[in-house]
Amino acid sequence: MNFIAAADVERARLPVTSSDAMDNVTGRPPRSAHSVGPYVEGILTAGLATAVGAVINIYVGLANVSLIYVVPVLVAAVRHGLAPSLWVSGLSVLCFNFFFLPPLYHFAIADPANVVALFFFMVVAIVASALGTRTRAQAEAARREAHTNAELYAFSGKIAGVIELDDLLWIVVTQLARLLNAEVAILLPDKARQLELRAAFPPDSELAEAGLAAAREAWESDRPANGNWLFVPIRTSRSPIGIVGILALGEGRALSSAERQLLEAVGNQTAVAIERVSLAQDIDQARLGAERERLRSSMLTSVSHDLRTPLASITGALSSLRSHGQRYDEPTRQELLGTALSEAERLDRFVGNLLDMTRLDAGAIQPKREPVEVGDLVSTALRRAQPVLKGRAVSSSVEPRLAPLSLDFVLAEQVLFNLLDNAAKYSPSGGRIELSARRVGDAVEIAVRDEGPGIAPEALDHLFEKFYRADAGDRRRAGTGLGLAIAKGFVEAQGGTIAARNRVARSGAEFIVRYPASPA
Amino acid sequence: MTGDAATILIVEDEPPIRRLLRTTLGAHDYRTHEAATGAETLVALHQHQPDLVLLDLGLPDVDGLSLIGDIRKQSPVPIVVLSSRGDEAAKVTALDSGADDYVTKPFGADELLARIRAALRHRLQEQGAERSFASGDLSVDLVRRLVRRGAEDVKLSPKEYDILEQLVIHAGKVLTHKHLLRAVWRNEAVDPQYLRVYVRQLRQKIEADPSTPTHVLTEPGIGYRLV
Repeated sequence: MNFIAAADVERARLPVTSSDAMDNVTGRPPRSAHSVGPYVEGILTAGLATAVGAVINIYVGLANVSLIYVVPVLVAAVRHGLAPSLWVSGLSVLCFNFFFLPPLYHFAIADPANVVALFFFMVVAIVASALGTRTRAQAEAARREAHTNAELYAFSGKIAGVIELDDLLWIVVTQLARLLNAEVAILLPDKARQLELRAAFPPDSELAEAGLAAAREAWESDRPANGNWLFVPIRTSRSPIGIVGILALGEGRALSSAERQLLEAVGNQTAVAIERVSLAQDIDQARLGAERERLRSSMLTSVSHDLRTPLASITGALSSLRSHGQRYDEPTRQELLGTALSEAERLDRFVGNLLDMTRLDAGAIQPKREPVEVGDLVSTALRRAQPVLKGRAVSSSVEPRLAPLSLDFVLAEQVLFNLLDNAAKYSPSGGRIELSARRVGDAVEIAVRDEGPGIAPEALDHLFEKFYRADAGDRRRAGTGLGLAIAKGFVEAQGGTIAARNRVARSGAEFIVRYPASPA
Repeated sequence: MTGDAATILIVEDEPPIRRLLRTTLGAHDYRTHEAATGAETLVALHQHQPDLVLLDLGLPDVDGLSLIGDIRKQSPVPIVVLSSRGDEAAKVTALDSGADDYVTKPFGADELLARIRAALRHRLQEQGAERSFASGDLSVDLVRRLVRRGAEDVKLSPKEYDILEQLVIHAGKVLTHKHLLRAVWRNEAVDPQYLRVYVRQLRQKIEADPSTPTHVLTEPGIGYRLV
């Protein structure tokens, strides 16, 4: 039992202990691995215990000085793990023997009773080491678990509000790459159920053909596939979702079991989030589809009604004239011809509206702005609307000296034409239609008022919708259901607003277009 | 009308519209010839020497705009373009590349005949016809530089007069912004805003109600027309 201190220091360069390697779990460098610190600390604490034991022995004459050595053993076990605590146990046995057991200052034991005491002290020290080490490992595991939980919590928080699939995948790959210190790839099936790479970190990370084959194998077998990369299927309770690929960084490094658990947890959350996002997109699609379907059917109704009605009148009038023209007197012939002509004009307006609406829907409206005289605009629209305004009393008033507006003349004129057309449609015969323009604050207001029945309260919100008509069924007025929607589209394309309301003083509707006044 | 009635070349690929034009124009004693393609047009132009070409911009074999250029290389014959609503840019290009006027499809017979008469009249004026204009209470005598509204003489500034003179020379025809800028300012790059200001002033002086003009009409997106 003759040990030399120098040789003991050499033993301090022991290989990394298993407990130190555990720190690898989170991908951070292990704390105090390959460090001599705990062993030097062991020498110091054993020395301190010896000094304290010596002092107590002088003043008190303690029989069981050996108990004092339990303290450094426990301290080493809890603070540094099994190997340092065994190291302190050995030192303690030697010190106790050397300094306190007769013959003093020799590594020999005279009294057999002391041999027994020393043996049991050794047993106690080793058991204490083991217990202390386990306590430490448990604390360490709890700390790691808390850390993992915090990471998962943060991760689920990050992906909770994401609604775009690409954003979601990007968060997943960047987070996983950080958590596992690895390259990460996510592969999802495309529409043809073929697996394709959807996101990766680093973004230029490339899967070789072999990697893709391994990923497909994992996808088809629904089991992890290992190659250069590790491919793990992710799934929800409903269905498989895709594959997460991991390439752990570091020469030949594989994922620890704790890392595998973390990967599984993140994978599960990712699968649920992907499913949520795609379900939300499906719902949006379905809603859009239903809306399209509704528009399509109202468009079909409108087109068949609005094309056929004037065509029926035209065909009827013309065929009647052709077959029985000689038998009609001149006023009757003129009336039939007038009907055919005005219905043909209506047809032309309807086709024009359909074209305008198509241009609006296609986003093909690009206003060509020029300074527009409001009076010029109003009179041009009134002139073109003359045929539809027949039988209505029309008055217009334009505030004198209005500065020109920056508008597209053609679009702005079409807006007024559509409003006049609408007013004529809902005006009683002989009803008055008023068109006025005046400056109000920073805007110029152009208003069109009629003396019709006004707008039903439930119609106010839908007036500017495509194919909306205030009267349904047979009561509805001849028209396209597009005029006001086009007016709104054209006004807004020029930076203006349009509103409708009922007149206060009398029955009738009022449409107000507001264009920003150009800076003087 | 007699044998000196004007000859019109109808360039249109749609047979129903060709038939309609032939019937309408024939009923007003115009002689008509027809072409359905760009190539036929150039042949007919050479063969019949028409007094006016009625040209549909949407021919199948050739771009109507470039056909205007081809016609102009051969002949100064007046060209009236048939086009659809919503294509103001094409109308302006057609007018600026040599067409005299346009009619928007679908058109009424009255409007078509008025455009044709205006285009033919302009040709006569260039041949030395009287340079004057009278409509409603407005009368203009370009030779004596006299403008009257009712019984009153109207005093115009030089620019206002120059604009009115252009409108009178081409009375009934649409004039593009570019045409007026070129003729009055001798520079088509001038801000059209000036033109608008002068037209407004001109209307103040010659229109009974300047807010609803009846003589100097705005053609949205294209220019002005005197009627």
